[in-house]
Amino acid sequence: MEPIRFDDRLTRPMPTADPLRKQSDGDGPSKPDVKRPESRNILERMKRVDPNQAKRYRQRSGE
Amino acid sequence: MIGIETEYGIYVEGKGAQDLVAEATHLVKLYPPPVAVGWDYRQEHPRRDMRGFTVDHLSIDPQDAQFEQSGRPHSTDVEVRSDRVLPSGARLYNDHGHPEFSTAECTSIKELIAQDRAGERVMQVCAERRMAKMGGGLVALYKNNTDYHGASYGTHESYLTNRGVPFEELLHSVLPFLVTRQIFAGAGKVGIEQQAAVAGGGAEARGGVYQLSQRSDFFTTIASVDTLYNRPIVNTRDEPHTDPRKFRRFHVICGDANLCEVATFLKVGTTLLTLRLIETGWKPEGIALRDPVTAIKRISHDPNRMATGPGKWLVERLSGGVIGAVDLQRHYLLAAQQRLRGLSSETDEVLDEWEHVLNLLESDPGHLSDTLDWVAKQSLLEEFREAEGLTWDDPMLQSIDLEYHNVDPATGLYYGLEQEGRVRRIVSDESVAAAVSEPPAGSPRAIVRGIAVQKFAERMHAVTWSRFGLTDGAGQSTSVRLSRTDTLSPTLLRERLSAVTTPAEFVRTLDELERDVTDEDVEDVDEEENGGSTAA
Repeated sequence: MEPIRFDDRLTRPMPTADPLRKQSDGDGPSKPDVKRPESRNILERMKRVDPNQAKRYRQRSGE
Repeated sequence: MIGIETEYGIYVEGKGAQDLVAEATHLVKLYPPPVAVGWDYRQEHPRRDMRGFTVDHLSIDPQDAQFEQSGRPHSTDVEVRSDRVLPSGARLYNDHGHPEFSTAECTSIKELIAQDRAGERVMQVCAERRMAKMGGGLVALYKNNTDYHGASYGTHESYLTNRGVPFEELLHSVLPFLVTRQIFAGAGKVGIEQQAAVAGGGAEARGGVYQLSQRSDFFTTIASVDTLYNRPIVNTRDEPHTDPRKFRRFHVICGDANLCEVATFLKVGTTLLTLRLIETGWKPEGIALRDPVTAIKRISHDPNRMATGPGKWLVERLSGGVIGAVDLQRHYLLAAQQRLRGLSSETDEVLDEWEHVLNLLESDPGHLSDTLDWVAKQSLLEEFREAEGLTWDDPMLQSIDLEYHNVDPATGLYYGLEQEGRVRRIVSDESVAAAVSEPPAGSPRAIVRGIAVQKFAERMHAVTWSRFGLTDGAGQSTSVRLSRTDTLSPTLLRERLSAVTTPAEFVRTLDELERDVTDEDVEDVDEEENGGSTAA
């Protein structure tokens, strides 16, 4: 591969201010407003995964 | 008009791949009424190519063909597929051993996300009913696209586009975009498929590596009408499901199934804007790819995905030199900002999110663990790996990958993230729950089909995406042509049709509402019969 040609760059990264992470005026993407139930720890959930599930998992070829 | 079809992975304890056609058939039949049955397959044309010809047959995966059992009792195609049309206007059926959920046609991306996620709920209802019927044993459904053993299955998007753009022009303008959009739309995968497996060898995927996309390993050509084997990046099937003089349905088959709502918002939103750009006459310059099929894999496999700066996801340009996928996407973004900003509030939200995500992919990809599936999944895998002291080649990580996609809210890992508030949402749980049984509010044809199912499911027959038959109390059947409703007010349609009490009144009300629509305006599309195999 040839070296990177930086003149291909079209825009530069935005400033750190991120309007999408602010409280939105509309109903677009926003930070979740979901309470975190203590009993549903994701790590514990991962530990309960059957280690052989992917090995057993066979599918028909689809579209 | 836009839509998403998802073939779900299905696991039934004690059953093998050879049993999955029967299992998927059982499963979809368990979805509770009201549902309409009787899909009309004579009106589907999966072998018709946009480039002006029809192929004799579609390619079949030789490895998959071994699962067909000649000793099994023969059922008709319609019986095996067991289509159900749901009160939302969606379609649920068995597609080649996969329960498939096709959303109703939508006119806004947020409505589409609610409908797509309602599909997860529909599938889980079926899984729970199947488990109850079995009296023991696990049934799990996965919104993913790989089995890590050489089989892939699809998540397809449909975009109604202007037929006035020549197909070759459309293809070359959209191709670099489609190859690179996986940097935000990829769902992440542990393992890389061996090319022998993709060619029908059925070998296990090579573990110990993580890649962006679940589908990229499976594309072997640029454009084709095939979808089951020799898969193309751009599908050329010509089934507009509406007036073929004016429209084509651009059928994208190279996408992953997304669970993160923002990933779906971007996947669909940026594709829609890119197609709109091309319709305005805009053409990308200097970003044609030298080898798109190699590029789609190379981007997915690039181990530098978490690096900062522009030196990752590099692809070779036809005109020489290389360009990074982020910059290539910026080429489209810049044009869309110049030509499309202000078209609608949803357009502007897509543009803002597109820019924001591209910038973070370059400057701090780890910050997108609440936004994109591939980053969220990688973050989970790292968390688990560190907690358990595992190396990347531990086979357990592939099971963690798989369970990310499990649509059971009690066990699925994406759902775990959602319940802990670790992912951004676009639609509320209430909107998703409503979309299980209600058509998208802005879509006339989904409203007509959905309300018909809610009120007269048992009187419906010969259903297609563009029409259905409705039989009244005297046994008189009327064909309801949905393309005639596309220009009607969705609010008025819902209001008037919700009040009817008989099939005859339903037809009469539609006739009144359509009285200003002439046959000149809408050419019917369901004219020819074809021999059999079906399309989503």
